[in-house]
Amino acid sequence: MRILTIACSLAALMAASPLSAQTLNVASAGDQNMVDYVKDFLGPMFEKANPGVKVVSVGTGAGDSGSQKIFEKLDAQKGSATTDFDVVVIHQKAAGQMVKDGLLDKYTANVPTAKLATGEAARNALGTDVSGYVIPMFQSQTALAYNAAMVKTPPSTFAELAEWAKKNPKQFGYNGIKGGMSGVSFVAGWVYAFGGDAEKLMKGPYDAATKTTWDKAFADLKEFNKNATITPGNAGTLDMLNRGEIAIGPVWVDMFYSWQADGKLPPNMKLKLISPGMPGQPMYYAVPAKAGQKKLAEAFIALATSPQVQADGIVKKFNWYPGIDAANLEGKLDKAAWDKLFVDVTPADLAKNGKAFPIAPYFNDILEGYEKKVAN
Amino acid sequence: MIRLAASARMVLAASLLAAFAFVLIGPILNLALWSVAERWYTPYKLPVTYGTRYWEQVFRPTGDAMASLGTSVWIAVLTVLFALALSIPAGYALARLKLPMRALFMLMFLLPQAFPSVAIYINVARIFYQLGINGTVLAVVLVHTAHGLVFSVWIAAAAFAAVDKDLELAARNMGASPLRAFFTVTLPLAAPGIIASGIFVFLESLDEFTGTFFVGVPQVTTLPLLLYNAAMGGNYQVASITALILLVPSVLFMLFIERFLRADVLAKVGA
Amino acid sequence: MSLSQRHLALILIAPGLVLVAALFLYPLCFSLISAFSKDGRFTLEWFAKAFELYSTDMVFTVVIVVTSCALTALAAIVIAGTLTLGENRYIVGTLKALYRWPLFIPFIVAAQCMRTFLAKNGLMNNSFVSLGLMEPLQAVSYLDWRGIIATFVWKQTPFVALLLAGALASIDRATLEAGRNLGASRLRVLIELALPQVMQTLLVALVLSFVTMLSVLSVPLMVSGSQPTMLTVDMAFRINAYGDYATANALGVITYLISAGAAILYLKRGLSQEAPR
Repeated sequence: MRILTIACSLAALMAASPLSAQTLNVASAGDQNMVDYVKDFLGPMFEKANPGVKVVSVGTGAGDSGSQKIFEKLDAQKGSATTDFDVVVIHQKAAGQMVKDGLLDKYTANVPTAKLATGEAARNALGTDVSGYVIPMFQSQTALAYNAAMVKTPPSTFAELAEWAKKNPKQFGYNGIKGGMSGVSFVAGWVYAFGGDAEKLMKGPYDAATKTTWDKAFADLKEFNKNATITPGNAGTLDMLNRGEIAIGPVWVDMFYSWQADGKLPPNMKLKLISPGMPGQPMYYAVPAKAGQKKLAEAFIALATSPQVQADGIVKKFNWYPGIDAANLEGKLDKAAWDKLFVDVTPADLAKNGKAFPIAPYFNDILEGYEKKVAN
Repeated sequence: MIRLAASARMVLAASLLAAFAFVLIGPILNLALWSVAERWYTPYKLPVTYGTRYWEQVFRPTGDAMASLGTSVWIAVLTVLFALALSIPAGYALARLKLPMRALFMLMFLLPQAFPSVAIYINVARIFYQLGINGTVLAVVLVHTAHGLVFSVWIAAAAFAAVDKDLELAARNMGASPLRAFFTVTLPLAAPGIIASGIFVFLESLDEFTGTFFVGVPQVTTLPLLLYNAAMGGNYQVASITALILLVPSVLFMLFIERFLRADVLAKVGA
Repeated sequence: MSLSQRHLALILIAPGLVLVAALFLYPLCFSLISAFSKDGRFTLEWFAKAFELYSTDMVFTVVIVVTSCALTALAAIVIAGTLTLGENRYIVGTLKALYRWPLFIPFIVAAQCMRTFLAKNGLMNNSFVSLGLMEPLQAVSYLDWRGIIATFVWKQTPFVALLLAGALASIDRATLEAGRNLGASRLRVLIELALPQVMQTLLVALVLSFVTMLSVLSVPLMVSGSQPTMLTVDMAFRINAYGDYATANALGVITYLISAGAAILYLKRGLSQEAPR
């Protein structure tokens, strides 16, 4: 019996190992739609342009935990000659850490389209200098989603929202800070609104004493939570909006649009980016330092960040804001598709109220402060 | 009067059974509904439009649902064989033989289930990279086996402990060698429990994704990885369909084993 | 035959142990080191932090898991008892066809099913309202501790019931028949005659369920909001939000101690029962 088992395993081992040298492994942290984007859209396009190459797309899970898994896998392979992944799609927090740990390749000089992304996000990931290591795949933004049938005049500031929640108990829902970044973003927005100097939190420099000035904001948030519903995660918030159990909740704009397109949100749902603002963040294309197919990886990213692909794939198919500067997309996209992005959240709103997440040390202080003073 | 009481009892039993069926089947029905719901939102209590759009999406040419399913089942079957090969001797030793520090050994098998940390998988991946077996089916099978071993060892130990020692002794007195007594008396009597444990190892393997990610991806991808992404991201339609696909091998395995089980129990009755 | 029983036992158990040692004990050492040290020196700082931040969650976790186990045991005994002692062919047949289904649903799918089933406007409440059993305004959401317990019991009951029914089927029918003939009700036969004989199996199944529930991440993450939540969620959060493996590992050690506690209760009972034989 045991010999048979071993024989079987060995046979399986043989069957599984041969992979052609021309395989490009792309790992994406994020929802299934991002994995499918590579699998169905970018992959075939790249394979067509490079005969003999096969693109393999794997997902590592939504949110920061997905990026953390990529980080852990690359870290486990530190001793190997090459890594399993050739292209990784990661969040800001993990990007900063991977750059610090020397896990990423400084590749953008070899990719012509890198010049098209000049925004702050291409250089700075939560306070870590990542220029040269990443090119943004897309930008996303959090905003409040509300059911226009249930909320006639949505609040437009955090203070108004607090008032509204008091008058409509349990009608506002967010996921706290565990299980999804939409809740984290709401909490960060709350601290920006009531915790003092928001600019300093986003730009630095870090001062460990700052966190003591948030006590009042956290105490108010704890009070606010009594009238709020705590939902299970990003999807949980959208879920409750879908069934009409809550009327307002913070969501990722791109998730909101794809849920609506999938028929999982009522057509009368709308978005609102309240002031003084809520954070958003990009996803990054990066190449591991020991990637086996660096040339192919660079060619792949060059394709993925080219204006036409950004217009057709990122904006038109997925309702994401483009990763490269918007000016480059001019003429590549019909106006209707472009305008669709900005129906509820206008470019002016974005410019005024679209914030970055706080730099990493403040970020951690906010999360831990929440755990200590609000959740406990 | 008696007949009235009897039929009242009957009605009660039937309604209890109906309530039970609702509790059991409701969530699964929910799953099935989601798999064909193209649009479903408030205030509608049932899907607004039905369709097979998402089934087509899962089975699209570039999707690899069927290939992943094949890999998943293959890994699960190997895991069961491997786990049983390890746990039958171990279970027998734990149940029947004098073993020093028995409790400690039992706790050790519990460890992989009870210490739920990805930190461990990172280190396992490190070891496997050094051995050069990361990204193979063997690596995934090893990790799944270690994870499922507690089910097969503990249940096998309990099954062997439940076998009457006198029967074994009787066989020995009739001149059977210890090995022969084991294979003709003890093992068949303990078989139902051991085989049942195989079901759990199988399901455990089909359910696992964290370990698979660290030691298998990207060369080996299984269906639960896809399921995990879809479910966590709130893509209910794709997750429901994937789950329904995963149901098929699980149920087939159960039926297969049940046939096997029944024959065994029947044989035991005659002995 | 110079091989002593003790040696034979060790040889038989060795392959399994080696696998666990190589794939879990050895990697676990790194986790333990990280849980107990800081900059190369021994410290309990991470445990202090774990208790400071997550003491509520620890109590919450234990209460959830113990309650779920108790309810699972009850439901499994009812099911297995009916399967073994039931006299109505149709009821036994229907039950047998039904009760195993949740076994095949992975936890993550069970969590997702329950999230849309138990919600305030979910399928369950909607069905009750449509059947006229409930007013729409009475609908409440069960997506909190009740949802977690419901999901665990739903998923684990078939597991325990399957093992229990197997054990019950293999005990001597004659004693049970004798009990029935003496006029004992089926409930009494089940509790006084049948159950004591299969206690060992029931306990194994419950300890395994206990440990499984303790280590599931998806159910608390997806079914309930995060305040309070179960330790697995906190562990994942420590790693994903802060990259803080030390505290996560400390939480892992605490989780293992909780499950080892449950396992030892079972093992002790097994040992004390063996002694008088």
